[in-house]
Amino acid sequence: MTKQIDLEAEIQRLLTEHDRIAEQGITVHRRENIVVLSGEVESAQRRDEICRQISGHFPEIEITCDIGITRAQAPSEVEEIS
Amino acid sequence: MIRIAAVGDVHVDKDVVGRYRPALEQLPGRADALLIAGDLTRHGTVEEAKCFATEFGGLAVPVVVVLGNHDHQSDQEQQVTEVLTDAGITVLECSATVLEIRGHRLGIAGAKGFGGGFAGACASNFGEREMKNFVGVTEDISARLGEALRSVECDALVALTHYSPVPDTLVGEPLEIYPFLGCYQLGNAVDSAPTALALHGHAHHGSERGRTPGGVPVRNVAHPVIKQAYNVYQLLSESVDAELVSA
Repeated sequence: MTKQIDLEAEIQRLLTEHDRIAEQGITVHRRENIVVLSGEVESAQRRDEICRQISGHFPEIEITCDIGITRAQAPSEVEEIS
Repeated sequence: MIRIAAVGDVHVDKDVVGRYRPALEQLPGRADALLIAGDLTRHGTVEEAKCFATEFGGLAVPVVVVLGNHDHQSDQEQQVTEVLTDAGITVLECSATVLEIRGHRLGIAGAKGFGGGFAGACASNFGEREMKNFVGVTEDISARLGEALRSVECDALVALTHYSPVPDTLVGEPLEIYPFLGCYQLGNAVDSAPTALALHGHAHHGSERGRTPGGVPVRNVAHPVIKQAYNVYQLLSESVDAELVSA
């Protein structure tokens, strides 16, 4: 059983170092009985892979994925720099 | 007037090809050039670089990029650079380029940059060899970015990095990781030249706007921060018009 104190660090390192994930922008928050992953990634496949890998590596932990897909629409405004 | 589009941290792989393209096809008329602030790929492989070139190459505006830390992950940064260059994309690393845009000269000096932290909480070139090497890289890249910025003769000068030159645009990130997100030496480099705008990425949970100690505007254009395909910034304004395109 992973010690509570190490859990967030282990998940964070897996998110970055796992070859199929390589995400540094996902935050890990521990609630009473669940761990919540949040942030944004570039595709639905990446979000699904994160959920699959983390759940697979930590089957004893209830994990919720609040990960969004970053929008990629064209902007409607310009900012003047002065 | 010059309008530049900018984004960072697009992390392209084959699953992303096609997502940005509709917005990129609208660039002509919206912006005169596209600048990308590093982390072009996920793991820095040649295959991912080809995906990036497919998505961001062949545009009707010049594309200028720097690499990010993800683009170094596979130790293939030279091959990645070659793929991008072959696709007509300008890759800057402690170097500069000048674009002629409607009678104006837009200078862009770029570097990946590195970590090290900011005033009051920064690493020092002291102690173990590993620490001296770390800070030595920070100092070297920053010094060479400054040289590149000062070498350019232009009407408007933009600094393009992956790591942040200021802590302002990191607000939202955990304080504990600031030293891994940027360094004050990059801010000094930006301030050593008449820079009009500094653009960076890397801080996905950071905030958009800041200024260097010398007063240069800084924008964090990491994709998760701007939440659209690119932002557009207007330099050398003759008049203010916040509308990007007519309806």
